[in-house]
This record gives sequence, structure tokens and C-alpha cells, in this order.
Amino acid sequence: MAELVLDGVTKHFDDDGDRIVAVDDASIDIEDGEFLVLVGPSGCGKSTTLRMVAGLETVSGGELRLDGTDISDRAPADRDVAMVFQSYALYPHMTVRENMAFGLEESTDMADDVIDERVSETAEMMGIEELLERKPRELSGGQQQRVALGRAIVRDPEVFLMDEPLSNLDAKLRSTMRTELQRLQENLGVTTVYVTHDQTEAMTMGDRIAILNDGRLQQVATPLEAYHAPANEFVAGFLGEPSMNFFDASVEDGSLITDQFTYPLSEDTLDDLGGADDVRLGVRPEDIELVEKPVGDHDYAVTVDVVEPLGDENNVYLEFDLDTEGEGAGRTFTAAVDGTHPVAAGDELGARIPESAIHIFDVDSGVALHNRERDPDEQVIPQ
Amino acid sequence: MIDRIHEAVRARGESEGDGDARTDGGTATVADDDAGSFFGSVSRDFLGSLPFWLPPFALMGFFVYGAIGWNFALSLVNVQQFNQPNYSQLDFDQYLRAFGDPSFISAAQNTAVLLVAFTLACLVVGLLVAILVDRHVRFENTFRTIYLLPMSLSFVVTAQFWLWLYNFDNGLVNVVTQALGLGRYKWISNPELALGAVVFALIWQFSGYAMVVYLAGLRAIPDEHYEAARVDGASTLKMYWRVIVPQLKGATISASVVLMVFALKAFDFLYALAGGFFPPKGTDILSTMMVRQAFSAGNRSYAAAIGIMLFLLAIAIVAPYLTYQYRRGEL
Repeated sequence: MAELVLDGVTKHFDDDGDRIVAVDDASIDIEDGEFLVLVGPSGCGKSTTLRMVAGLETVSGGELRLDGTDISDRAPADRDVAMVFQSYALYPHMTVRENMAFGLEESTDMADDVIDERVSETAEMMGIEELLERKPRELSGGQQQRVALGRAIVRDPEVFLMDEPLSNLDAKLRSTMRTELQRLQENLGVTTVYVTHDQTEAMTMGDRIAILNDGRLQQVATPLEAYHAPANEFVAGFLGEPSMNFFDASVEDGSLITDQFTYPLSEDTLDDLGGADDVRLGVRPEDIELVEKPVGDHDYAVTVDVVEPLGDENNVYLEFDLDTEGEGAGRTFTAAVDGTHPVAAGDELGARIPESAIHIFDVDSGVALHNRERDPDEQVIPQ
Repeated sequence: MIDRIHEAVRARGESEGDGDARTDGGTATVADDDAGSFFGSVSRDFLGSLPFWLPPFALMGFFVYGAIGWNFALSLVNVQQFNQPNYSQLDFDQYLRAFGDPSFISAAQNTAVLLVAFTLACLVVGLLVAILVDRHVRFENTFRTIYLLPMSLSFVVTAQFWLWLYNFDNGLVNVVTQALGLGRYKWISNPELALGAVVFALIWQFSGYAMVVYLAGLRAIPDEHYEAARVDGASTLKMYWRVIVPQLKGATISASVVLMVFALKAFDFLYALAGGFFPPKGTDILSTMMVRQAFSAGNRSYAAAIGIMLFLLAIAIVAPYLTYQYRRGEL
């Protein structure tokens, strides 16, 4: 069991003299037994970070520590980590048993019968004991996935590294495996770093999530914290589906003035802004309420443009009713309402944006100036 | 050679089971019609496709299979020089003669040695070079071209190169061996050394081919397999030995078939290199012996028998490969 520390880890590649920074000064403390999810869009450096931990990429700067020992310069074999690859990387010419035994044979001095026993035990735990004598090509995608996991588990490493291990499975199997993987990790209590671009996996699986963008660490927090109190605009926009609505606004006379509407702010919120003039207002679709007629300060007359029924909820695309054909005309935003809420394209309604649910970001730096009020008991299950 | 076999098989496939090669949905019709009367059965597909497959089929049939058949017939009689063969009495005398002929036995032995030593050495050298080139070295393409270049040269030309290299008085090989204190050797005229010298020269020319085949095989192995092996704790040597090389089985099989078939018919290189010796000592293989018997000694039937035996050897090498490919559905 081990604590893994990334201390200012940096990776840059040389491309014909140009220095390309893939990971820039990432520092994360991963506690013993913790499940940390690295999440971000394609090319954000999450896989590179994982590969540096595995020893498959050299570390250009900073330090990797496992239980206080610097492992930055160690060969992968000497790090006591096991990795699960997106493509599973099962050796096609070996049986499942040989695949699982390979790591133990190469990295330990265990006797063959001890290895054999351990492989059988792990296979039983994973429910793949009938597959042990088969070749990978004779297995289904889900079975291959299990074998790949079993191959990592059998080594009993200090750290599991998983690089999008579920992304080659179909949706149904993916959600089953997600739960199973979580349960396994909890039972084994092995420190795990899990890379994904899928925010559902990020939100549901991790003890904490680390969000990366352009090689920079944006925020490390529990999933709910990152969802409700995003450190910046990127995190706010990345997490959540449909994603947060953003409106450019200027602060004038205690109100936010956008191209489409004016949003009066309370004193408390204004204090958070610290005198910023240009900001970006953010509000999550599920926080927008639909009312019959705009009555309050934070209600706006809108027309329903498109309705996407998902069953449990409807994604409703709304358009502001503007008197003039100004700059903001035609701009739609999204509201997510209960699936039983009767709403159809062309309906004229009121959209209420509660002040308790708004986020305000600095336009230039993207830093969150004000985050929504939070009910500590609130549970959010994103799509 | 392989291409020719592929062509032949394809041509035959088209003529015999004309349903197989069809992809335009004509299969069912042909099968049904065949069961009915013959004249009503010649489907429009069959007639329509005739101009496309008949000319190559006829040409292949006459010039390749017809010639092989004729050669076989020739091997069953005894004809000297360019006399008219008498086909009234057919026997296997020429084959029996071969098995009692010491020069045939020695040529067969040399062929076997060439076949095995040359093929194995080429595969090993090709694999090593392919692995080195595959490790993302600088000027990778340049190296690949350099290694493959000998393949593109005519055997007569490379044989002349090697004649100069193996020259007793001032050939580069002897210059080197002498500098190393090993003395000079008659590489080509000493029967004990000649075959080794030939194999070495052929490896130089053909390992590039094995390299290209292996390189293609290596490129098909996903990077994750290397990475998984490294994370699993394997050393570089173990990684290649246990994870990578076993995955090159297909490349090994196809490269060795091509190399072995070449070794059987390596006539031109040997003729150009050691053709000056009558008969060449130590480097006489079945194909050079066949040509000598046919055109110098005038034993046409004997040469034909040797030719048929060479042909059977080639079939013995190629047939299992084609069967293997067919079973895997790659043919």
C-alpha cells in the first residue's frame, strides 16, 4: 500500500526544436488506497501523466514519489505498478493463464506453482477461471477486459494505473464494469490512478478527480466539489451534460448586463466579484426553472426552440424573446427539466435563473469569482 | 514464384469452382444450372466473364502446366541431345539413374544445406536488423533502403562483386582475413569453403528481404504490447523473446517459404559465381546440375528428371504454406 505524490511533474517533447509542453507542473498527492480519476479532453496530458507514473515516459521536471521514495528515474519494472491499457494489450499468442502469469514470472522470483496458484485465485475472484486456457482472440470484449484487469490485480502492485480501460466496451457493459471496478478497488484498497475522458466515469468512480486541460492541472477535488464549486470556467464547462450555460456580462449598477437580459445581483454576490467589470455568468441547465409567466427579477420571457426528450428529463433549448434584433438575438441556452413536464417547441414561457445557483467567472482568467450556494446534503447524479 | 503460384491457383479456382470467385450474386444461378441440362446451363455470367479469365488461363495452362507435363514426359524416356524422343517405352530409369549418381547425391546434399543454412541465417539476420531498425533510430528509412538495396541488383552483377571480393590475391575478404592473421583462402575453388562462401553472399543479398517482411510484422504489433511487457517487468531481451518474436510467426512462415523456394532455384547466382568450374566442386546444386546435364552433357531426359524432382521439392515447400493460408481464410 502506498501514497503516490506528483510533485511539480512536467513533461515536454521536442518537435524539431520546438518545445511542446504536454504536462505542466502538475502536483497531486494521492493517498494510500485512494481512487483518483484524471479527466480532461483529448490531448490534455492525462495519458502522458499516467505514462510518466508508469515509467513509459521520462519525467522532464519535478518528482514522482511512491511512499516517500523518488521513483522518477526508475525503470517501469522497478516501480511496482500495474497498468491496464485501453486496448487491453493482451499478448495474443499466450493463453489467459500465461498472460496473467507473465508479470509475476518476469518481476518476481516466485516458484512456478506459487504463481500458478495466485493466477488461479485471482481468476476465480474475477470470475474468469473457465477462460484460463483460452487465447485472447477467443474472448469477447468484456472478457478481455476482465483478463486485463486480472493481469494487473494478480501482481498485487502498490499502484494500479488504468488508461481508459472501459472505453472499448459497449454502453451497457461499461456501466456494469464501472460498478464492478469500483467495488474491486474498494475491496483491494490499492491506490489507483484512472484516466478517462468520460465525465460519467470521473464523477461516479473517483474518490477525487483531477481535471486537466492543455497540460495544466485545473482542479483536484471530490466529484461533487468540482461540480458545484468549480475552480474555473473550464472545469464548470467540462463537467455536466448538457454543459453549463455561459453568458458574457458586464457589471453595471449592481446588475449583470448581457446582450439578452439584465440580472440584478444581491450585495453578497457583488462582494464576491471584487469590483470586476467584465465577467461571465454561468448556470447549469438543471438549475433553470420553467415558469408559466416571467414575474420575478430573475425571470425572463423565452420561447421553446427545440425539446430533446430523454425520458427521465427533457433538454429544452430556449430562445430569449427580444424586442429588437440586437446582437443577442437567436442565442439559445439549455434547461433540463423533469421528463413529465409538458413542454413543446414554440411554447412561450418564463425561464427563472435562481441567484442561489449562479456561477460567475472572470472573463480573462476564467477563475471562479462566485460559486453557487450549496446544500451539503445535496446529491447530484449527472448524466 | 509465389506470385505465379497465386495466379495459378486463382486461375484454377475460376475454372473449376466458378461459384467461389464470384461476388456479384451469380453463384446460386450457376449451381442450379449445373444440376440441369448442360446446354441450357452455360449462364450469361460464365460467357460474359470468359474474355477476362480465358486468355490468361489458356496461356498459363499451356506455357506453365503444359511445359511441366511435357518435361515430365521427357523424363520418362531416354533422349540425348536434340534427337526425337521415342515415347513408345516409358519408364523411371532416369530417376533411378539419379539416385545411383554420386554427383546427383552431392548436388542434392548441397541443395539441402543451402536450403536450410541460407534460410535460417537470412531469417535470423533479417529479424535482428528489423528489430534494430524498428527501434526508431535516426535515418531509419536510409538504413532500410541500404539493407534492401542488394535485393534489387541482378544476381549476375552481385556474383561478379563477390568474385572480386573472394579473389585469392587481392580480394577484400582475403585482405581482411590476412590483416587479422588468419591467412588467405581459396574461397570459391576450395570445395570445403565454396558453399559457405556462397551462402554468406546470398545472406548479404537476401537478409534485406527478410528484414522488410519482419519489419512489416513488427509494425503490426501495437505499441501497447511493448509497454505492457515493460510494465510487467520484462527486460528488453525477454520482451522480444517472449512477447514480440512469437507474434512474428506469420512473417517467419511467409519469409521462409519465399527464401526456401529461392534457394531451390538459385541457379543464376551460382552459375555466375562458380560456373567457370566444370563441374563446380562443392557448389553444385540441383538446378546447376540440371542445366549442365541438359545443355552441356546433352542428357536431356536426365535433366528433365532432375527438373521434375526440383519441382516436387518446391511443391513440398509451398503446398503446406498454401494450405495454412487457405485454412486461415487468407487465400
